[in-house]
Amino acid sequence: MSVRRTTLASRVGLPVAVIALLVFTLFPVYWMVSTALDPKALTRGSDLLPSGVTFEHFDFVFDRGNFGQYLLNSAIVGIATIAAAAALSLFAAIAVARFKFKFRTSVLIMVLIVQMVPLEALVIPLFIQMRDFEMLNSLLGLSVVYIALSLPFAIWTLRGFVAAVPKEVEEAAYIDGASWFRMFWSVLLPLVGPGLVATSIFAFITAWNEFVFAYTFMKGSDKYTAAVGIFQFFGENTTSWGPVMASSTLVTLPVMIFFVIVHRRLGSGLAAGAVKG
Amino acid sequence: MKDTLVSDGPEVTPSVRPQSDDGGAEAARRRKKLVTLTRPWLLLTPSLIVLVGLLLWPLIQVGKLSLQDYKVKFGGGEGTYIGFDHYKDLLTGDLLWKTVLPNTVFFALACVGLTVVLGTLVALLLNRLGPTWKLICSVSILAAWAMPAVTGTYVWIWLFSPEDGMISQVADSVGLIDAETTNWFTERLPFYGIATINVVHHGFPFVAITVLAGLLTIPKELYEAGEIDGANAWQRFWRITVPSIKPVFLVVTILSTIWDFKVFTQVFLMPGGSGSNPDVYNLGVYSYIEAFAKNDYGTGAAAAVLLTLLLLVITIVYIRTLFRQGEEDL
Repeated sequence: MSVRRTTLASRVGLPVAVIALLVFTLFPVYWMVSTALDPKALTRGSDLLPSGVTFEHFDFVFDRGNFGQYLLNSAIVGIATIAAAAALSLFAAIAVARFKFKFRTSVLIMVLIVQMVPLEALVIPLFIQMRDFEMLNSLLGLSVVYIALSLPFAIWTLRGFVAAVPKEVEEAAYIDGASWFRMFWSVLLPLVGPGLVATSIFAFITAWNEFVFAYTFMKGSDKYTAAVGIFQFFGENTTSWGPVMASSTLVTLPVMIFFVIVHRRLGSGLAAGAVKG
Repeated sequence: MKDTLVSDGPEVTPSVRPQSDDGGAEAARRRKKLVTLTRPWLLLTPSLIVLVGLLLWPLIQVGKLSLQDYKVKFGGGEGTYIGFDHYKDLLTGDLLWKTVLPNTVFFALACVGLTVVLGTLVALLLNRLGPTWKLICSVSILAAWAMPAVTGTYVWIWLFSPEDGMISQVADSVGLIDAETTNWFTERLPFYGIATINVVHHGFPFVAITVLAGLLTIPKELYEAGEIDGANAWQRFWRITVPSIKPVFLVVTILSTIWDFKVFTQVFLMPGGSGSNPDVYNLGVYSYIEAFAKNDYGTGAAAAVLLTLLLLVITIVYIRTLFRQGEEDL
């Protein structure tokens, strides 16, 4: 580390920058939670410091808003997405990172291209398709869409992890007489574990946060996912901000806790996927 | 690099497994070859079925729909081909050129510019902080990143909401606006201003963390040499930092561009964004409203195709960048 001269600018500038960053990033989060807990927020706005702490908005969204059911729906769809996306993307990542075959580059380019497809382009034909198959309003139908949405990024990220496992480790397993499948279970899988964790988190968050498909496909009010369920508390002119912020808090906090717990792996997952390509 | 990173694992086995006789070796080699040839495809098939069935096929369908007049019938729908009429209407109308495209393009450019600049500044800041503050700041930007687009949007709407929103009240108390009469969401510019803050708040952490990862790979000696040569911080940034991690900047810029062109939820959920205020349409929202609010799937599909083509051009630039930066094993 080089010795830096401490100038006046850096002595004042750094703390100011840190404070500005903390306010910009955390104030919306604070505002959401504080409104959710503020007893006044059902009738009128909230103040910088809440006038008290109450859980009535949370009770309201569970009792009157059926939000427990929506959270459960989101969890079911999320877990189905993780399980399928992790397995499928790992197989595909091994194929493109470890084998030479014809059309390998074409497959990779297709993965990149489908990653950019806007959801609004897919939602129209998929809605028509799902309606014709009578798969609207079905958690299974929604999960299948989310698996597809999370696959390209998952394959792209995991490919970096598989490629980073040294060839020699695999070769050593073969020399010891292991079959390919044995090598896969005992050598490759443990080594790409962190990548698999990162990919699963992204798949889960894709499903948990997604709005467009859930809003379009799920019209029965007991089939909403949590991200769509907030919508019912939100009116264009008369919004009760307490329940909206309480349900927003319920959707946001699990994701935030997840992020903070796994942020190191998240970083390396992105680095492997986005930076190294 | 190509040969070390990509080769088929099982090829080493024949040399280490003793073969009993020549005929067996020949059969084993043939079997090996078949396995080597089919195994990547066996591994790929499940993913390919999902990708083709749910992403590529619908994309073809949306192209087909955009050339049709699609009527919803009982128990299904029916399309009749009408040629390029939807595109003709779209491309000759004022709405696309005066509202939808400017909203889409200027909004995306503003978001990308601010996201990349802010993300880079935050990465440089994190790089200079001690371990404790670095952790505190990292966790706080993770919080911004983790906030789902849906809930983040509700919070920004709430902050700017007329009358009792926090920011409306602050602006009122310093005399900037009259909170009773000002509605930020009815006019294009403030509407997209709020959407921009929302998207940048959600998007800059990705840039910050990726650029920080890049910064850590630059050898410290380069900066020491620069300092000895008398380069100031500004010169060191442009002459050392930027050239060293140019690929990182390219990738985060292009990815942000792709994401910001297809912003939907953040605009759709804002007051007026779901159709009641045509002034704030962007391409994605316009397509969705035509299809689902007006049951005009053909026009919606045509707008979706336009957006897809726009993104395809950006993606091609992205792929070429990846190739050029020495994507040895693509």
